Amino acid sequence: MRFLPLSILCVAALAVLPFVAGSYGMSFMIQTLIFIALAYSWNLIGGYAGYTHFGQVAFFGLGAYVGSLAVLDGTHWLVASLYAGVAASLLAAVLGGVMLRLKGPYFAIGMFGIARVCESLALGLDNITQGGTGLYLVVVEQLHLYYAVGAIALLMVLATWRLDSSRLGLQLLSIREDETAANALGVRTTRLKIGTFVASAFVPGVCGCLYACYLGYIDPATAFAPMTELTVIAMVLLGGMGTVLGPLVGAALMSVVNEVLWARLPEIYLALVGVIILIAVLYMPRGIVNYAQRRAWRWVPVARGHLRRMAQRKKEAA
Amino acid sequence: MPVFELLVAGILLGGLYALMACGLNLVFGVMRVINFAHGDLLAVGALTAVSLVAGMHMPYLAALILVPLMTAAIGLLMQYAVIRHIIDGPPIMSLLATFALSTIVVNISLLIWGGGFHGLSTVLGGSIPLLGMDVPLARLVSFLVAMAATLGVWWFLRSTRFGKAIRSVSQAPELAVISGISINQVRNVTFALGAAMAGLAGVLLAPTFASDAQLGARFGIKAFAVIIVGGMGSYPGAMAAALLMGVLEVFAGYLYGQVLGAATVFLAMLVVLVVRPRGLFGIGARA
Repeated sequence: MRFLPLSILCVAALAVLPFVAGSYGMSFMIQTLIFIALAYSWNLIGGYAGYTHFGQVAFFGLGAYVGSLAVLDGTHWLVASLYAGVAASLLAAVLGGVMLRLKGPYFAIGMFGIARVCESLALGLDNITQGGTGLYLVVVEQLHLYYAVGAIALLMVLATWRLDSSRLGLQLLSIREDETAANALGVRTTRLKIGTFVASAFVPGVCGCLYACYLGYIDPATAFAPMTELTVIAMVLLGGMGTVLGPLVGAALMSVVNEVLWARLPEIYLALVGVIILIAVLYMPRGIVNYAQRRAWRWVPVARGHLRRMAQRKKEAA
Repeated sequence: MPVFELLVAGILLGGLYALMACGLNLVFGVMRVINFAHGDLLAVGALTAVSLVAGMHMPYLAALILVPLMTAAIGLLMQYAVIRHIIDGPPIMSLLATFALSTIVVNISLLIWGGGFHGLSTVLGGSIPLLGMDVPLARLVSFLVAMAATLGVWWFLRSTRFGKAIRSVSQAPELAVISGISINQVRNVTFALGAAMAGLAGVLLAPTFASDAQLGARFGIKAFAVIIVGGMGSYPGAMAAALLMGVLEVFAGYLYGQVLGAATVFLAMLVVLVVRPRGLFGIGARA
């Protein structure tokens, strides 16, 4: 059991980090942790249940606006972020019953459309959201934000780890592999996927609010940026969809690469992110974690590994 | 409410959507790939047209011919470098790949043309009287050229030997292969044709709309909405839906303002996705 001490060490190192890191390091870590949380939420519905979509920014942006409005109304930012999460989950609950009837590319693009509708609404309802001018908040202290987003990210990792070795996780994977067969075997597919969708919207809502508090400013272009969406998906894809460690590895790697590219080559940095995604799609579609687990990382525990390998083999043959 | 004027404006806008959406739909029909970068080819087309006409003082007609050829070449490059490797994979992978391609194209355009807006207000200025109202010449010309191109491609698909090959690959690729049709050739030609249609739409758009590097996202998404409403893979469906959506957008824009007008197009798409996912004329996606 080399795995447990190592992970505890990592968490401990992250917990004492604020006492050694400067302001630059802290803001880098806050962004990375927000992206880790987003990546894990997307992994729930996109990786485990297999309902990949391009609409997570809808929840992120809604959360940013609900949270900002609550903060401006005098609510404490932590409570406001809870409101934001609940609002995002409510939106998901309303959308879920309708949108999850769609499959594959229809669902993916339908959700992209939802995100764009939300952005248009944020621009259009300018008596509430101030339209393109945006809302200005008091910036929350980085130390507090760091622990808040760190706790959320840790919680998401632990939740995914629990889910991965649970009956529920296997049921979600069965939806991903073959929804009709899963249904026939008694998995309550509709209830499960709507539940997962709602759960996967909560954290993006919270993160949206925390991100707004971090920037001290929010406008439709920031809240609903397609780049946020692309980065999150790239992280999960690069790390490995439907794995426990995938989003973590992907997010850590992408954040570092992003930061280096952004500092060195600001003009073509986004184009290079695109190239990275292309390379991942073309040469490593199952992600780093899946690749490494088969080669070198055998010591990282995978729940019910034998079942998973069978599922993979079937997928590769198809 | 000036119903008639709005109707005409909507139909004129719809012509451009038709050209965009039909190109996108053609590619989807044959390759089952939803090309996220389609809108960005349009933006590249529009910006190149501005550079050629305003920057290098070429006639507009030359841009009308050169730009589609250039975007077709870019399309072929995408097809060779990326799309053909993932075409048989799960659909989500090709979506992600074209999403990435779109980011690359947008950011290269930003490098070349910068972030500002460019327009060709001097070309095809003025308006002509038509049915008792003044129609801007640029819009009328772009509508006519767009419809001519769309109908021309439809004729090509319906009546020529290669067009039949394209349709057979989109309906039954396995049977097309055993009938001696080169699937790769058909895919390459289709992708280039779709890219050329996007480029042409870009040139036609340049005189009336101010274009910037990020124009593609705004227009491309509307083209998705159009083909979902019309039915993925259905060529006449896309044409009809494009005109419908053009009219819808103009009316909603008049009633509720520009921003919410654009949102109505997506709302219409969402309604269609939920009520009739195949679209008005769709053949449905093959599993």
